[in-house]
Amino acid sequence: MHLETEHLAGDLQMSPFHPYQPETHIPLPVASRPRLYRFILVSLLVLFGSGVIGFPEQRPRLPEETRRYQVPYRLTDSQHVLVRVKLNGKGPFHFILDTGAPAVFVTKSVAKKVGVKTGAQGWATFDTFEIEGGVRLTQVKGRIEDLVQLDGMNTLGLAGVELHGVIGYNVLARFRIEYDFTVDKLLFEFLPDFEPPDPERLRVEGPDDIQMMGPFIKMIAALTGIKANFATVPRGFLGIEVTQANGKVVIQHVYPGTAAAKAGLQPGDVIVAVRAQTIDVPADLHRALRRAGVGSPQVLTIERQGKMMEVRLELGRGL
Amino acid sequence: MLQNMFATVFRRGRSLALLTAVVLGSSTWAFSLPADSPQPVTPHKPPLSGNPSSTSSDAEKKPTPIVIPFELLRSRHMAVQVRVNGAGPYRLVFDTGAPMNLVSNKLAREAGLLKKGERPLLPLFGMGGPKTIETLEIGAIKLHNVPTVVMDHPTVAAMSRVLGPIEGIIGFPFFARYKTTVDYQKRELTLVPNGYEPKDVMQSLMEKMMNPPKGKPEPRVLAPAALWGFQVDKADDDTTDGVTVTHVLPGSPADKAGLRAGDRLLTLDDRWTDSVADTYTAAESIKPGRSVVLVVLRQGQRLELTVTPRTGF
Repeated sequence: MHLETEHLAGDLQMSPFHPYQPETHIPLPVASRPRLYRFILVSLLVLFGSGVIGFPEQRPRLPEETRRYQVPYRLTDSQHVLVRVKLNGKGPFHFILDTGAPAVFVTKSVAKKVGVKTGAQGWATFDTFEIEGGVRLTQVKGRIEDLVQLDGMNTLGLAGVELHGVIGYNVLARFRIEYDFTVDKLLFEFLPDFEPPDPERLRVEGPDDIQMMGPFIKMIAALTGIKANFATVPRGFLGIEVTQANGKVVIQHVYPGTAAAKAGLQPGDVIVAVRAQTIDVPADLHRALRRAGVGSPQVLTIERQGKMMEVRLELGRGL
Repeated sequence: MLQNMFATVFRRGRSLALLTAVVLGSSTWAFSLPADSPQPVTPHKPPLSGNPSSTSSDAEKKPTPIVIPFELLRSRHMAVQVRVNGAGPYRLVFDTGAPMNLVSNKLAREAGLLKKGERPLLPLFGMGGPKTIETLEIGAIKLHNVPTVVMDHPTVAAMSRVLGPIEGIIGFPFFARYKTTVDYQKRELTLVPNGYEPKDVMQSLMEKMMNPPKGKPEPRVLAPAALWGFQVDKADDDTTDGVTVTHVLPGSPADKAGLRAGDRLLTLDDRWTDSVADTYTAAESIKPGRSVVLVVLRQGQRLELTVTPRTGF
């Protein structure tokens, strides 16, 4: 495995000196890149914010009636369960559902954007806390903190989307939640007659060592050139409906004014290839076009009345 | 805290080799390790024993839900009792936010995951390589060939000091195989096999980190899975909910459902459409022929339109 055999004896030497705290030493050895990366990944990916144990007593509230909600989610590239949240009507922001976190955590920049006041202990109250799919809580306590795990994942772009916070125990325990990754929604059922016990204030000796990962991650990112990339663009629009007939993809309808219409495509045309990729089923066409943005040039090979022809066009806008 | 880290390493008795490596600035340390076994990184497909629906011949049988009680720790983490390769039971944290399973060096040694004398790959947190658990038992569930990492996670260690022994974390690779219901009121997990095969996330993330894209990063293209027949737009300084429908193609699914240019689209299949990108993201998961509700505002009126997108591009 090339992943396991590549050693970086020279170019990944960890300085024993921490850039910000010069008198302390990080005994990070020269190690192979895969080992370091695996170490980083494991450190970053679990137990967000669990160093913070105990939090102010205040219960999020929901409208009276018992309700079930279908909550859209997506799995991030890092296999976290991500839902979208509006805080005080602003957002949406990306939150991870995490029974391993004792409370809601929100990054400082998001808290600033939303305009909440952070109390002395680092906690803030959100007047409204809406989870996509219709869950609307009021008076939700959240801790305003840049968790090293979220920060690290965002620096390296591991999740594939920017992460803004974590939903932990104080909100999760209010619901019976059904996770099923074969469907595209989670089921949230509010438990009206259940008051989840608050976390106890526990004395944890010593600091959370995981915090030291922060500067380390930045260093790795700088050394290796790993950069987060969260940019997205809409796919370009052709303007055709297709159907499958006799193992071929046939144009059924061409919408007037679209790229397809301007290029002269007609109902009945068989799409044989797109940029030399053979098209046998509509899914092939989806694959051939799914990375093509608005304005991207395309070459379609079509068969019309037994004749093959090439059609050049630029994708338009729409969905 | 960094001194603390140092102490952690010191306790592991590896300090000499480590310091030598650091001082010499060479890779002595790395080479002094026991030969590491490159792990085959093919995706795991553990057969699910005790899972009546895992084979197609049994497809007509309705799988029985498996109920697993959990302990609500004082920190309000959930803990479950787990046997690993017959050893245990151990107390592990059940964590929906953990993309991998994780076990301590103590558990790994006792359950035979580490060979005799096998030492951590990295001294920090006793970080070991990826390992495969032959049998993992939680309640009535028995799984085979379950991937895990070995590490003395500092947060787990801190929790153990206060709450009693906790030997790791059970996460996504376990519960994703089931329709999993988490009920804090009953303190129960209810699991029904759903045939989902979790990917080996460590593998894909390692690849991502080992091969960062060269040159200018390409934006991700948001590709709808079907044809809807409308366009949306939103001005940069427009911060109100939704996007504005600018154009509807005559005769398209959107047109037939009654969508009109000028409508403010608020949600598509219960997903917020607060930006053009949001709208495309929502459309990414809707396959042709599936009917979904679009909520729009038209002249102050809230309308629900049912649209069935078609196969098109």
